[in-house]
Amino acid sequence: MKLEGKCALVTGASRGIGRACALALAAEGAAVAVNYRSGKAQADEVVNEIESNGGKAVSVEGDVSEYEAAERIVAESVEKLGGLHILVNNAGISRDALIFNMEPTDWLDVMRVNFGGVFNCTKAALQQFMSQREGTIVNISSMMGLRGWTGESNYAASKGAINAFTRCAAVELARFGIRVNAALPGFAPTDLVQGLLEKDGGKGILKQIPMRTFASVEEVAGVVRFLAGPDSSYMTGALVEVDGGVGTMLGVGAPL
Amino acid sequence: MAETQTISAVQEAVVGALGVSEDEAAPDATLMDDLGAESIDLLDILFRIERSTGVKIQASDLSEYMQGGIPDDEFSDENEIISEKGLEQLKKVMPQINEDELRGTLHAENVIKLFTVQNLADMVEQRGGSAGS
Repeated sequence: MKLEGKCALVTGASRGIGRACALALAAEGAAVAVNYRSGKAQADEVVNEIESNGGKAVSVEGDVSEYEAAERIVAESVEKLGGLHILVNNAGISRDALIFNMEPTDWLDVMRVNFGGVFNCTKAALQQFMSQREGTIVNISSMMGLRGWTGESNYAASKGAINAFTRCAAVELARFGIRVNAALPGFAPTDLVQGLLEKDGGKGILKQIPMRTFASVEEVAGVVRFLAGPDSSYMTGALVEVDGGVGTMLGVGAPL
Repeated sequence: MAETQTISAVQEAVVGALGVSEDEAAPDATLMDDLGAESIDLLDILFRIERSTGVKIQASDLSEYMQGGIPDDEFSDENEIISEKGLEQLKKVMPQINEDELRGTLHAENVIKLFTVQNLADMVEQRGGSAGS
């Protein structure tokens, strides 16, 4: 097990990709802090699942969009797990709308949670990571941060910010033994993107994905586990696309 | 911790963080002017020192240490030129400075540029006290 003896904090880990990341890291031997904002029961289920598989996990409540809360989340994780080596910045929200109809709070809320959460938790973890000269940070970004999609301007901008921050943090922190990378899922059918799949069960999107399937959350978590662990030891600042090939095409890759 | 151990721990941190040779990281070399340290380098040096000696120094502690608790308006004048009282204090923590040359010309923001490898070792020594031994 490649993460034996390591401690990991996954934000927004009560469901979706965060949950899958928590389970994947635990399966590789890491002790995991399962952060949640409102889904206590779901977070406790994740903890129970990890424990019933013989792993170690704790749940940690807190809203990553508030810096003081992020500091507490990190401190609590360190205290309960006995250390911290891996941070997966996953917590995210969406408020899809056309720009014409979008309320100013729609972009601000999304930015505060998605990018603010990454900034806050990263900064909060640095004292620990820099002192021990060891740490890996994996940011859950999105292909939306690289390309455009109708109704996603606020979400895409928040993920674009995460991409830029990932690169800068990688440059600043490399000399302190800290690696920072991002995983960019294409379309994974979680609660977050439900709106996109409503129309026709997602068929119209599937046709645009070369692999013709959505990403499972486990497939995203597999990349996160790789970026968090020793197999990616020479990688930092990478934006790893986990998208079934959707970002690699010109248009839809063929005449319609 | 013996003083010789402290200076070698600081030199080792400087060499590691800046990629300079051991000869270059001489006790009398100034960190910023001679060795070209930037703020991120200072941070790296301080974390390396913390790791090897257990003495924790924040980057913001440096100016506080040099100023020795003297209030800003007494440490320098309205143009931020270091006062006589300020020079006296600086001489205590940086005995190598020539106060006659600096009198009336040393700007507050340039004080840090005078800080040497030895000065940092002295600070580590003072901060560590018995804890480091």
